[in-house]
Amino acid sequence: MNEPAIVTQGLAKAYAGVRAVTGINLTVPRGSIYGFLGRNGAGKTTTIKVLLGLVRPTAGSARVLGFDTRREHIAILQRTAFVSEKKTLYPSLTASELVRFSRGFYPTWLDSAVEKYAQLFEIPMKQRFEQLSNGNQTKVWLLLALCQGADLLILDEPTTALDPITVDQLMRVLAEDALDRGCTIFFSSHQLEEVERIAEYVGFIDHGKLLMEARLDDIKSEFRLITAAGTALPLQLSPQVLSVDVEGAFYRYVVTADAEGFAAGLSQNGATVTSITPLGLREIFLQLVRKEQSCTSGNAGATLVPSSSRF
Amino acid sequence: MYFWKCWRDTRAFFVAFLIIAAAVIPLTALVCNGTGIMQEGFGRDAVVSTFGLLMTVITLGLGAIGAIHEFSDKAVHFLFTKPRSRAYFVWIGWLVGCIEVLGIAVVNLLAGSATLAFYHPGQYLSAFFGALKGFDIAGIFIYGVFVYGQTYALTAVLRSGLKGLGASLGATTGLWAFAAAIWARWRLHLPIPADHIGHLPVALSNAVWILTALLFVFGAQLVVERAEI
Repeated sequence: MNEPAIVTQGLAKAYAGVRAVTGINLTVPRGSIYGFLGRNGAGKTTTIKVLLGLVRPTAGSARVLGFDTRREHIAILQRTAFVSEKKTLYPSLTASELVRFSRGFYPTWLDSAVEKYAQLFEIPMKQRFEQLSNGNQTKVWLLLALCQGADLLILDEPTTALDPITVDQLMRVLAEDALDRGCTIFFSSHQLEEVERIAEYVGFIDHGKLLMEARLDDIKSEFRLITAAGTALPLQLSPQVLSVDVEGAFYRYVVTADAEGFAAGLSQNGATVTSITPLGLREIFLQLVRKEQSCTSGNAGATLVPSSSRF
Repeated sequence: MYFWKCWRDTRAFFVAFLIIAAAVIPLTALVCNGTGIMQEGFGRDAVVSTFGLLMTVITLGLGAIGAIHEFSDKAVHFLFTKPRSRAYFVWIGWLVGCIEVLGIAVVNLLAGSATLAFYHPGQYLSAFFGALKGFDIAGIFIYGVFVYGQTYALTAVLRSGLKGLGASLGATTGLWAFAAAIWARWRLHLPIPADHIGHLPVALSNAVWILTALLFVFGAQLVVERAEI
């Protein structure tokens, strides 16, 4: 039971020679909420498809709830609820019929939860799926996933087309109901505010590579924006220095650890450190992705702090 | 539950053709009653021809709209993340269609024989049942199962009901045309589905064709299992 809910090693997937995911090492602790962040086309959905056995990895391995995704994907699917990025279901079935259809597959199905979530999300259960609004179609997916009584919820962009009130309700349901049952939640998103609100762990993916994964609190406590005034201050990137921006005489450094020590070094070089401020998830994400782009173009060679030791 | 879903998807088609299967011979007889056709042997030939035509149409249709066609649907993410093997979905879908084909076939034959019995009591009914062997009703049914399996598999390969239907129709007519050409040119008998194969007994020939039909479903299973969604 101590094995992580999801663990991947060197996971890679290529479609017709195009690399979608490259060497991903992911660790999702049991009972946690893990936000999987990345831009469109970063590799989030491909990673999820590999975890669910919908596609085969080109290299590497993945275990979900202790089961190998290649050989034991039925056992994984028995214990895992999934909300797809594409929120399409059988158009002619009503939400009630979709519940009836899904229920039969899962001995752990929570009948009592159906009414509860249908009321909470205000889902018209007697209406055909094709007649529902995009938001309500997403809600039906969520209802089916939440009622499954799963050990693991894998949600691919779960808040697509949802209004702010429903997003709020969903976040509360995930953070309270699902976690109370000991369920692990792995959700992909590019809505950073949502992730920041409920996630305990985050992983950043871009261009198919996992840039970093860590406990969100650790990231917030370690990443700092240092603003300093001076001349000829260092511009080199390193594992500690994620990015440097220069505007006139002002230098803005994003550092990943020991901000005070780095600021002291700047002061010794004659700089005046004007501020050391913590960063939000958005800024961290932007800095990581920006750095990845510069690395990709060959302008920088800094490597990121390995994250697995943080767990 | 998937059985229910497959039934729900195909029931409109099934009911429509069940009605057609039940009504076509009685209605034809009603229209033709009193004309010379009734006296000139309307009966066994009409029933058997209708049965063959019906089998072709429903097997092509059910193969294309059967469960496998949702493989091309965006909801396949939903289906293939259910805790069942993909082989389960392929075979359940095929089985539902097969049962429907069988249901329509039985209704059509019963309605046909009842009509003959009504219009020609004693005279044609015994002749009809006696002729079942000669016309190889079982062979026509096996032909239907073959075409159904072929359409089902092609729908899986092409990931489209419409393309599967077109390809299957093309393959069926193409095979007939090819066999006819071979016969015309070299007087060689190329067995087409449900034909007797060489000097094999009828039962063995039929068994070979049934196995071939099942091979189509195995083929569909392989395609679906290997597909990346």
